[in-house]
Amino acid sequence: MHSATATVSPARLAQAGKYLTFFLANEEYGVEILKVHEIIGILPITRVPRTPAFVRGVINLRGKVIPIIDLRDRFGMSREGAEEQVIIVVQVHGIQLGVVVDKVSEVLSIADGDIEPTPSFGVDVSTEYLLGLAKGEGRVRLLLDIDRVLTASEIDSVHAAAAAEG
Amino acid sequence: MSPYSLNDLAARLIAFEATDEDFRDILETLQVMADDRALPEGVRALMGDALVRWIAAPADTRERAAVDLQQVVVAAQGRLDLRDRLTVALHSEPAPSPARESAAPPAAQQSAAPLLPPDSDLSLLTDFIAESRELLEHAEAALLGLEIDPDDAEAVNTIFRAFHTIKGTSAFLALDYLNEFAHHAETVLSRVRDREIRCTGGYADLALRSCDMIRSLLDATQDALEGRGDALPDGYDALLSVVREPEAAGISELGGRAPRSDDDANETPDGTMLLSARDAFAASERSAARRPGSGSDRSADSSVRVRTARLDRLIEMVGELVIAESMISQDPILKQGGHIELNRKVTHAEKIVRELQDLSMAMRMVPLKAPFQKVARLVRDLGARSGKRIEFVAEGEETEIDRNMVDFLGDPLVHMVRNSVDHGIEPPEERRAAGKPETGTVRLSAYHASGNVVVALRDDGRGLNREKIVRKAMQQGLIATAEGMSDKEVYELIFSPGFSTADQVTDVSGRGVGMDVVRRNIEALRGRIEIQSVPGQGTTFLVRLPLTLAITDGMLVRVGGERYIVPTINIHLSFRPSRAALSTVAGRGEMVMLRDEVMPLVRLHRIFGVDGAKEEPTDALLMVVGDGNQRTALLVDELLGQQQVVAKTLGDGLGRVPAISGGAILGDGRVGLILDVNELLTLARHGDVSDHMHTPSRAVA
Repeated sequence: MHSATATVSPARLAQAGKYLTFFLANEEYGVEILKVHEIIGILPITRVPRTPAFVRGVINLRGKVIPIIDLRDRFGMSREGAEEQVIIVVQVHGIQLGVVVDKVSEVLSIADGDIEPTPSFGVDVSTEYLLGLAKGEGRVRLLLDIDRVLTASEIDSVHAAAAAEG
Repeated sequence: MSPYSLNDLAARLIAFEATDEDFRDILETLQVMADDRALPEGVRALMGDALVRWIAAPADTRERAAVDLQQVVVAAQGRLDLRDRLTVALHSEPAPSPARESAAPPAAQQSAAPLLPPDSDLSLLTDFIAESRELLEHAEAALLGLEIDPDDAEAVNTIFRAFHTIKGTSAFLALDYLNEFAHHAETVLSRVRDREIRCTGGYADLALRSCDMIRSLLDATQDALEGRGDALPDGYDALLSVVREPEAAGISELGGRAPRSDDDANETPDGTMLLSARDAFAASERSAARRPGSGSDRSADSSVRVRTARLDRLIEMVGELVIAESMISQDPILKQGGHIELNRKVTHAEKIVRELQDLSMAMRMVPLKAPFQKVARLVRDLGARSGKRIEFVAEGEETEIDRNMVDFLGDPLVHMVRNSVDHGIEPPEERRAAGKPETGTVRLSAYHASGNVVVALRDDGRGLNREKIVRKAMQQGLIATAEGMSDKEVYELIFSPGFSTADQVTDVSGRGVGMDVVRRNIEALRGRIEIQSVPGQGTTFLVRLPLTLAITDGMLVRVGGERYIVPTINIHLSFRPSRAALSTVAGRGEMVMLRDEVMPLVRLHRIFGVDGAKEEPTDALLMVVGDGNQRTALLVDELLGQQQVVAKTLGDGLGRVPAISGGAILGDGRVGLILDVNELLTLARHGDVSDHMHTPSRAVA
């Protein structure tokens, strides 16, 4: 049954626990609460040249410079109708990064029984950043593998790929 | 077993000061403990609750949440104790008692015992390690001083006190190996103090090696603390047995004045080595006034130990305060006039803030003493090993430099010194034949010059050999011919990667790594290295470094809707070109002429893929950057003004961004990017001006 989750490499499966959920357009996503450092209002973002498109730039977080990641780009979503109001600051492998989202929803306790592996949608939909789906209250929430979305090695490999193409 | 215990958590909570590291630690600890199935259900539930409460607390009230958390820890501790008592009762067999409880001092047979006692106090140990390292530094300085003046009673006392304190504290902390070793080292030194033996020759060497061993033990303890293994340093048992009975191991007061026969001296290979070490320093006795790192300045300023993370944070916050303050003082309302009283108050606040900034910058300046002392020791050891006689002279070791740079300066210095000792200073016979004193001199000096720190390393050796460098460089294919190259250009070749002129590889140098690394390290510190050499008279390395890496003098420029900071040090001048000065090569490569100098024109907006920038150079501005014969004109829209900025990294998440060295918070609170001009020019030169990410790629040769 795990093969259903497989896209690029075997991703780890979502664990039961507390998740912070947020909206991108009308899709609701969840991120493990332990990775969340804080939630701040949107701030002016300085674009950084020659970085992958999913890097929106950097912001000044009380004197600290942290990168901002664009999830829509990561998921291949259109930016149309985006009402980005909130930045979720996460900490992954000791690195602080911001993620721009439309709005934050709630903190949710998700049990093992509510979690399902991500189904495969074929080549058009990229699911490699998902840990699984959570059912509940008649809704489906997409549980993010934030480590995969944001790790430096991922960014480095994009750098390398870009350099190779160039 | 869980990597975290309640004790760890408690220790962190007590030390909690709302820095990001503490926050992460606590969060991780809570998380691990909440998931740790080895803990009783009740404790895990408590931790889970605490975790949720902690996360729900906004950042500024976490201090208060920390107090709540402490109560949770106490509660959890209570339940754990209960469980422990139950376990003990059930198994009716106490936990294996640690070795240190045996009355006899630990000996060789218990080398299987762990470095750390099972219930060590984290914060106490950390303090102990830091304090001991400092004591060792003092002891080492005093030891080097003793080699010059073996009768300096105060120096002997300093060393003795260091070992004594380490012995006492390590016993208290149940660090058996350290305690054992320090105990015997102290015994040897007490004999020195009581004038039974003199701290010269073999004893001096033994004392230095003991310092090294204690330092290794401290490192090992630190590793064990951080869970990176639990291994004794190499050679512990061997050195311990020497320290226990130095005479049995052939250690003696070798040297001219010591009443010992030469047969005795040559008995062990160690002995001969020590003899030359003694000789190497014999000459320097004459110059006691100039002795390196002498233990004479014992008038210790009263000081407080502060965690570096906290200090950095303070300096960062002062930087923010300066920016916030300038936002107020430049507010349009104040400029309107009519607010005389308010203006006066703002000016007053501004003065205070500036002073605060100066003060905070001074807080992180430290003297160059530590790296200099390392060099003193290195010269001594290298000289002894190679049989050369070397006097080491240190000047200006009180010169101050940013603390963050001191650590990075150590490695390049070591390489340079090795180079001087191995290639520069000749063996005594050769020096005599050349009519020079047999004892060579290595002089390390530091001083301030025009806002920079200059570190100079000078030897009076044979100097660089032009022919030899040219021959090697041609062999290695670095150059085709040396014709037309100035001496300076030839000397520069030794900084090329893989270059080495050593005829044979010694354990000192000649492996072909070194000088290129030195240059890279110095340049990473935004410094420059120069080399001067006179055949037969010696070589000088001149290293120029900025006072601090934290503050960059920059020019704020605008390109389209973006602003960048160009370090002032990179800018020669800026000008608006006339139409006649512009020309192109093959319709593509753009050039501009400035006072008979033709240089390539690089459009910053094109390299960075910025939209809406000025395309017409005659409407915009050209900034001349780059060095010497490789000057380049950089096209920007306009200059916005000069600014001192606090350079920050862009965060680890981004990795290396080409042509950007970091970011800085600008007056309006937004982040401005600091350009790395050299990288930018390389990027432009390699024709890779198409921005693969933001603009459609263009084929450029």
